Amino acid sequence: MTNKRRVVVVDGIRTPFVKAFSEYLKMDTIALGDATVKALLTRTELPREELEGMVWGGVILPGLAPNVGREIALDLQLPPHVEAHTVTRACASGLQAITSAVMTIERGDADVMIAGGSDSTSNAELKLPQKVVHALAPLAFGKATPKDMLGVLSQLMPITEILPKMPKIAERTTGEVMGEAAERMAARNEVSREAQDEFAVRSHHRAAAGIRSGVLREEVFAVETPEGKTVHADTLVRADTSVEQLAKLRAVFAKNGTLTAGNSSPLTDGAAAVLLMYEDKAKALGYTPKAAFRSFAYIGVDPSDQLLMGPALAMPKALDRAGMKLSDIDMVDMHEAFAAQVLAVLKMLGSDAFAKARLGRDKAVGEVDPAKLNLYGGSVSIGHPFGATGARMVNTVANELARGDRKTALLGICAAGGLGAAAVMEAV
Amino acid sequence: MSDFFLDLGANPTARKVIKTLGLPVPMPQTLRRAKGPWEARPLHDDDVIFGAAPGSGCLEVVAKTLAIAGASPHIVGDDAVTEAFAAPGEAYGRPAHLLDLQELPERLRARALVFDATGIETTEGLRALYDFFHPLMRRLAPCGRVVVIGRPPSSMKTPVAAAAQAALEGFIRSVSKEVGKRGSTAQLVRVDRQAEGRLEAVLRFLLSARSAFITGQPLRVSKKVKADATIPFVRPLEGKVALVTGAARGIGAATAQLLADEGAHVVVLDRPADDGLASQIARKIGGSVLLADVSDPEAPEKIAAILEAKHGGVDIVVHNAGITRDKTLANMKPELWDATLDINLGAVERITDRLLEGTLHDGGRLILLSSIAGIAGNMGQTNYAASKSGIVGYTKAMATQLAKRGITVNAIAPGFIETRLTAAIPVMIREVARRMSNLGQGGLPRDIGDAVTFFASPGAVGLTGNVLRVCGGSLVGA
Repeated sequence: MTNKRRVVVVDGIRTPFVKAFSEYLKMDTIALGDATVKALLTRTELPREELEGMVWGGVILPGLAPNVGREIALDLQLPPHVEAHTVTRACASGLQAITSAVMTIERGDADVMIAGGSDSTSNAELKLPQKVVHALAPLAFGKATPKDMLGVLSQLMPITEILPKMPKIAERTTGEVMGEAAERMAARNEVSREAQDEFAVRSHHRAAAGIRSGVLREEVFAVETPEGKTVHADTLVRADTSVEQLAKLRAVFAKNGTLTAGNSSPLTDGAAAVLLMYEDKAKALGYTPKAAFRSFAYIGVDPSDQLLMGPALAMPKALDRAGMKLSDIDMVDMHEAFAAQVLAVLKMLGSDAFAKARLGRDKAVGEVDPAKLNLYGGSVSIGHPFGATGARMVNTVANELARGDRKTALLGICAAGGLGAAAVMEAV
Repeated sequence: MSDFFLDLGANPTARKVIKTLGLPVPMPQTLRRAKGPWEARPLHDDDVIFGAAPGSGCLEVVAKTLAIAGASPHIVGDDAVTEAFAAPGEAYGRPAHLLDLQELPERLRARALVFDATGIETTEGLRALYDFFHPLMRRLAPCGRVVVIGRPPSSMKTPVAAAAQAALEGFIRSVSKEVGKRGSTAQLVRVDRQAEGRLEAVLRFLLSARSAFITGQPLRVSKKVKADATIPFVRPLEGKVALVTGAARGIGAATAQLLADEGAHVVVLDRPADDGLASQIARKIGGSVLLADVSDPEAPEKIAAILEAKHGGVDIVVHNAGITRDKTLANMKPELWDATLDINLGAVERITDRLLEGTLHDGGRLILLSSIAGIAGNMGQTNYAASKSGIVGYTKAMATQLAKRGITVNAIAPGFIETRLTAAIPVMIREVARRMSNLGQGGLPRDIGDAVTFFASPGAVGLTGNVLRVCGGSLVGA
């Protein structure tokens, strides 16, 4: 720990999160990133020459310009030396972008970086089946004869096989849709529908309180859409929802299931970014850092078993690396892919049997006090633009640590492919 | 080679017609076999029903095994059972469901029924078997598994208790016959006291699709041989060197492939005349070729020298090479007798002796191929049967001798396996031989290979001196 250069969060910002196919319909992931980085630079008044690089996270990457980070730098006409790359680690992409930048600064390769992520489900590209691509290639790249044209037609039958495929959040290896995986986790860890609905309602109420009190407003900026509309605040949070209302919703992933639209995170458009610096550099530039990174950890689990349990392994690992115990942590922020998934992971963290069998230690990692968990809601209520969520969480946590009442924070994110991510942050 | 009746039985329409007309046509169930190498969770999402006689001693290990193997456990029994399943269920996300045998859920079809009978010490106590299995017999899915866990009768303190434990064998052999039509199998595992922990690997194997052609068999799990600290279940043979004799074709080739699938470097041994086939196999599985005639007096030295020089020794030895020279005793020429005995038994002894002089590593595995003929005897096979029952005696004696070196020695006795050898049998006799088993069909070479691979694995350390029949519950023999 001691020989590392400590990396601090100077500030962060995000767009309001909105439902997919609504206000940001005409803004793709690059446009959302442009707006966010621009707003971050304005807010922090960072001299642009100081910025050395950018790391951007994304899941639904634009096929023709997948290095979103560099596109943002070019769009904003940042100094040409601002190098950028784009990372993808499913729902942990935003956190991956940040930890990649943190590592770069820790190594001494840079002092000032921006990291963040964005996703626009509204602009997911419809994928032509590879069969069509292969059939049409000779027409596009060669000199086709009429006979070739006919040949192509015959290759494309039957028509149902060549219809574009709807994008779907399914595991490539197992074919399982993520909600189905979460549904199985609910059953396997005995998480009830009631518990999920209660969790979801609490998430909405806390997010709503966060907006009312101005805490969440601090992290967003107003987005001007190409149609000239201005989006000021998150649109998915429902202050008036209740357990009774959520109980009426139908299970969506399984017959007699427990997961509903109400206790799952919605498809969302949005972006988030943070400005990271080597601590001494931040001070030299006259900034007051909000929080610092202490450790992080990534881990994989078998996707065909319990797809979204990764945080139950990654969070203890990050704590170990930070030399801390769960009891040393003042706030826990977990990505809420599904209420069921968070509750299942919490059960694992609180289980002695799990700790013995899966972590090789005698005692459970610990119970997470609900009063310390997701203080201002999470992905269920605020929304979940895949690549942006990690940066949103780091931003919320940094702001809370900067307020001074809490000293330490633990972050946990589950991701497709059976991935788990975690980080420990501390007040400066 | 295709089995006409197996194909017929697999066709739903044909099956229906034959059933409706009540035709006397055998319709064996196509057996479920494993795909790919050993899985982390061979029982992924399989419903497994577990029960136990009061006072039984394997609850914890069964609970842990099922949870880690990914099964969905349903349990019957007292608080001790519930308690044993609580922690593993929580740790692996496989909570056990309490089952009321009087009111079984309508749709429940179990992949396996497992009963811990180690607590049974009296004749009345055997009633627990009836109480558990009677309501569940119609709830076993096709290609299901029945496993009863008991104690060796010889280890029981009273004659009554010994009788009760011995009774399990007759029970399981009969269950095997009753469930065989639907492709299901039944086994008895006798566990020595203090050897309970070694049950895990055995259960994983017996409950998996890799034991498809094994049924009605008793296995003994002991503490005789010292075990490694950790037992891998995925790629269990990584870093091991395996020698398979007669590996150019049939059972040997299938075995070589399966051992390689689990990470072993396989030395494919066959006669110089089979160079082409042996090389093909070795190339396919990334192994090496060793050309030698096992009956050659120079062979043991040659094999040992090559294994030591090229591979630093050997961990797994599979004596698979063998011949048949069938004639009734009255008609048998002396050279037929001599060749069969020498290749099937003499060569095995000579090669093993030489390998034990420092080539076979401590903690190794010796697996010998016996035969159902060696157990039951067969018309025209006095020579072959003598050699193969000789293998049984050799296995048992060697097991005792090598236990202190951490080496296990086991024999496998194949029944009717679909190979070049059995394809040569006249069609009528072949048809009868195929059907004369609980499963009503012949086995595949891989069924033997699967059993060999299991014996070769670190987890099989509890098994030594066993003779495992892989015969689909053949009606001949004990």
